Amino acid sequence: MLSIENLTVRVDGKTILNGLSLDVPSGEVHAIMGPNGAGKSTLSYALTGRDGYEVTTGSARLNGMDILSIPPEERAALGLFLSFQYPLEIPGLPTMTFLRTALNAQRKTRGEDEISSGDFLKLARAKASVLKIDADMLKRPLNVGFSGGEKKRMEVLQMLILAPRFAILDETDSGLDIDALKVVADGVNALRSGDRAMLVITHYQRLLDYIKPDRVHVLAQGRIAESGGAELAVRLEAEGYQRFGGPA
Amino acid sequence: MSAAILPNRRDEAWRYSDLRAALIDTPAPLSGEGHIIERLAAGAGARTCVQIAAGENRDAFIALHGAHGLNASAELVRVEAGGRYRRVVIQTGAGVIANLACVELGEGATFEQFTLAMGAKFARLETQVDAHGARARVDVSGVYLCGRGDHADLTSTITHAALDGVTRQLIKGAARAGGRGVFQGKILVAQGAQKTEAAQNHHALLLEEGAEIYAKPELEIYADDVACAHGNTAGALDDGAVFYLRSRGVPENQARALLTEAFLLDALPDWITQETRELIEGHITAWLEDVE
Repeated sequence: MLSIENLTVRVDGKTILNGLSLDVPSGEVHAIMGPNGAGKSTLSYALTGRDGYEVTTGSARLNGMDILSIPPEERAALGLFLSFQYPLEIPGLPTMTFLRTALNAQRKTRGEDEISSGDFLKLARAKASVLKIDADMLKRPLNVGFSGGEKKRMEVLQMLILAPRFAILDETDSGLDIDALKVVADGVNALRSGDRAMLVITHYQRLLDYIKPDRVHVLAQGRIAESGGAELAVRLEAEGYQRFGGPA
Repeated sequence: MSAAILPNRRDEAWRYSDLRAALIDTPAPLSGEGHIIERLAAGAGARTCVQIAAGENRDAFIALHGAHGLNASAELVRVEAGGRYRRVVIQTGAGVIANLACVELGEGATFEQFTLAMGAKFARLETQVDAHGARARVDVSGVYLCGRGDHADLTSTITHAALDGVTRQLIKGAARAGGRGVFQGKILVAQGAQKTEAAQNHHALLLEEGAEIYAKPELEIYADDVACAHGNTAGALDDGAVFYLRSRGVPENQARALLTEAFLLDALPDWITQETRELIEGHITAWLEDVE
């Protein structure tokens, strides 16, 4: 599914990722943990193609397709999705308009027909109810005045509607209380399937109690420092990141 | 017409809008005293007076479509106690377009206005409000757009001369390379106009290298018990927001258009009708799609 080899990424002339390699096969959920400043968010931005994240060496392939050479919107149409750590507020852009525009843009890039407004409304309402999002919220401008938890739910709603093949969840647990965390985890788990994969970036093990990972990786000093099963997350919670060096 | 009585750029109120240069080939008869746009309008037979009786509500829709040459018009409005005047102005077309509204507000009177300026060789839509009655309410908002070679100027002076006045002003603009947008907004709170509440906001987007925005926000306050604030920004689209949309599959041009449209439509007031809203959205969308 996603195959990253020897990825080196610079931001503002500074090397943040340094020869990172990672394989996430179809059907699996991998977690990336690591100290602050290890490069976790840089990895998510480099994979999705944000300006300013300069890939100097290495490759990243999604189902064999080189994603680093194509613009962000084409990566999205191939099925790559990032749930943002800090979702942006867009005054004046109704959430529903945004969601429908995004879905139709992806379908158009893939050569599919646009979804009708009636079908879209049904889809959006059904997915919103899974996440216990009030339908009225969808009429409001995107993320404007939403609480931290509501913004994270909105990210996951976007994910459920766009139904990506590969999703990166960047600290989706931050800002969520326990009840909201369960709702969001249920939504994420509903999307797990044999032909999808996910990368869950988190500081804490808590989220991984609800979204069980197949593999856990420690990202430190710009590369994968250790990999293991779900038990690695439990150990990290007890031991901390100090033995991996770098900023703690 | 004597060019000497036209304002030049040394006149503070015309510093960013060179009417004399715009009218160089278009002489028009001028006479009398008063505001230059009013005199130009009188010469063109386009000076109208509007009287709103006490307690009366009136809505006006004004389409200013400029043809080649000078298009001047002026409206002198008096709203009596408790009356309300709602004015929607949409400027399209070419040439030199100058429009003036002078509005006097009595006690408890309301003036609401939305202005869309699509730009032209020279377009200035000026609003002067004299709120001399207590508890007068002013709600003025607008959007201006300037493509290559276009000039769009939204200028206003709002004077509160009595107690408990309220003004809300929100202007948004966007300019492309070779376009020039001007916002001049003055809110004057006279001595004795205590408890005036005024909020003035102007925000503009420079969509391309070579776009120009000139902004002169002003609060002039002679009363000591008021709540007045203003905000003024001019800048590019937020890269983070553009990336957010692109990461969801929206192509860059479409993402920029969508964000610009959202930015501009934020200036539309709640009181605007659905029909008018759609008309305005249509103009803005067409402008955004018309990329050279």
